Amino acid sequence: MVEGTKKRNRIFDYFCEGDQFAGGVAWCAGCPLELTARFVPQVLGKNMVFVGTPGCAAPVLHGQNIGAWHKLAYMASVMTGVPSKATGLARYYNRIGQDATVVCFTGDGCATDVGFQPLSGAAERGEKIIYLAYDNEGYMNTGNQRSSATPLGAATTTTPVGKIGRGKPTISKNMPMVMLMHRPAYMATATLSHLEDFAKKLKKAQEKVKEGFVYLHVFAPCPVGWRINSNMSIEVCRTAVRTNYFPLWEAEDGKPGFTVEIANPKPVAELTKLMRKFSHFKEEDMANLQKAVDERYALIKNLCDAYK
Amino acid sequence: MVSAQKGQVRVITGNAVGAYGAMLCRPDVVAAYPITPQSEIAELLSQFKADGVLDAEYVEVEGENSAMNVVLAASVAGARVFTATSSYGLVFMYDALQEASGFRAPVVMVNANRETPGIHCVSSGQQDLISARDTGWVQIIVENDQEILDQIIMAYRLAEDYNILLPIMVNYDGFYLSYLAEAVEIPNIEDVDAFLAPLKQQPERQKLVPGVSIGCGTHGMEMGYVEARYKHCQALERVKNKVDEIDKDFGDYFGRYYGGQIEEYRTDDADIVILASGSATGTVRTVIDTKREQGIKVGLIKLRLFRPFPAERLVEVLKGRKAIGVIDRSLCFGWKYGPMCMELRALSPEIGPTPLLSYIDGLANLDINVPHIERVIDEVSAAAQGKPYQEVTWIPMEE
Repeated sequence: MVEGTKKRNRIFDYFCEGDQFAGGVAWCAGCPLELTARFVPQVLGKNMVFVGTPGCAAPVLHGQNIGAWHKLAYMASVMTGVPSKATGLARYYNRIGQDATVVCFTGDGCATDVGFQPLSGAAERGEKIIYLAYDNEGYMNTGNQRSSATPLGAATTTTPVGKIGRGKPTISKNMPMVMLMHRPAYMATATLSHLEDFAKKLKKAQEKVKEGFVYLHVFAPCPVGWRINSNMSIEVCRTAVRTNYFPLWEAEDGKPGFTVEIANPKPVAELTKLMRKFSHFKEEDMANLQKAVDERYALIKNLCDAYK
Repeated sequence: MVSAQKGQVRVITGNAVGAYGAMLCRPDVVAAYPITPQSEIAELLSQFKADGVLDAEYVEVEGENSAMNVVLAASVAGARVFTATSSYGLVFMYDALQEASGFRAPVVMVNANRETPGIHCVSSGQQDLISARDTGWVQIIVENDQEILDQIIMAYRLAEDYNILLPIMVNYDGFYLSYLAEAVEIPNIEDVDAFLAPLKQQPERQKLVPGVSIGCGTHGMEMGYVEARYKHCQALERVKNKVDEIDKDFGDYFGRYYGGQIEEYRTDDADIVILASGSATGTVRTVIDTKREQGIKVGLIKLRLFRPFPAERLVEVLKGRKAIGVIDRSLCFGWKYGPMCMELRALSPEIGPTPLLSYIDGLANLDINVPHIERVIDEVSAAAQGKPYQEVTWIPMEE
């Protein structure tokens, strides 16, 4: 161990289990989703059940690559059934007194598009489940198509840049805000560059899920789809926070507040230059994206300030 | 097993019977979403829960797809579950129906049959159950309110049997039965407990438990997938005899027999046989009695088990008959015959070269009435005597 020679990383204090995943799993090099999947059970413990979907998590969570897997109980689902399956599991475990943390683990496509109805339904019913959406801003597993979490102007295979096309013409769905409007027991955004913040939110999620629905929105850049160097994914997470592109905030019992506030946010161009999905941007495109980011941040800030 | 006590007789609707049937089987988790003509079940089960009569987790879901997902997952975790739907509700569950059977979840669902076309139609018909034919479920069709209740109880014995573990869809004609109040004997819950008790002596089924390295719905690759599908098909084959066994057990205990996979009526010496299902079979029996008085040797097969298709028993009964008429309350798009007639035609090599007449009737709440059935019997009878016949007849279009 590094103890004694170097300052101990406080993140270990949040761990109650070892890594539940085998080495050599079938995720791409530099994928923050892999690190997120490894991180979550280490904080939440072994009594969790994953409910996941076809998507980037599927190969490992559901054993597509059966050479390297994990040790957790899981249920695979099509994208339309995740929170409902989690509901069925959580209700029955609760009924028989079985200690369990039921965690939905899906991408943004499932959460914001095709699987949104059951997510909204489960949140409204206050089901005692944690829904973790890993947001890679599109359908990365099927080859980088747009979802409603894809940002304004981003080039994807279904919002390509061409003679006329300038990438996605609309802004992304403000999913954390949408979920806050369901008044869950707990809602938070997180990302890997701020690991202790993430761990605290997972611990809080595990407590608050005893009272009701928990939604976690995790920013997870895709090195392949976004065209980022594989050693840069955590840096992209950090820059997304520092540009207010992805603000770190939470809402416990319906009261919103920032967990990380950025004193002097950098322009969003600092983020977009780290990847190639915005490489077609002209000044006007950048100004439009900056405006969308500013507008969204102002909304969250006004809300947080109102509850201070 | 001794006989059950006499139950309470009440006059209630088919939907209410569905709710009582579910309650008597003590489900752990119930999820339902209202749809005409099933809504009363969702309402009544909620009321039972509110009154403290039903001790179950009741999930008032935001759509039918979620209803099926809730119950199939709870079932995989070990729960006894129940849901009810109809028509577009069933279609909206389509992906989850596949998962329920693929996960081998012993879900019990009632489906109040309703038309399910591309044009809206709030009326009876069996198109919904036909639309879900190839989902790997067991599909049973019942005739009256009492049979709805009894079949729900039998469905749990079948679904949760260790050698079966498949979801069961109990179908009854929407509108005709869902809103029809009939006298129904409601068994005592202790007797239902006793009837379902043999399930407890079976080996415990595999359950999804947290903290254990176990998965469900895994990406089946190559042989894993093939093996799972093979076992699923084998289990469906085992359903046939099991339905007959459970029907006998049920009859011995509660005093009501339904014939298992099929119910025969006056087939013993019949030259011609009419095959029908659901609530219309009562009318068919009445007409058969009249025709018998006129000297026509006609019998009825009430098809109860639609999936798996009771091939062996049908061949046994139909072999050597002079002509067969099939009344379908739904369509088999792309074929001119009705779906049940199509299924029967697959057995032609075993049944032999007998005229097989397909009738489409009773779509969209149109009654399969006495004159219609008289016509069917007359035409099938003529075909049996070697006269020329029309292979397919849409009765309402020819009136």
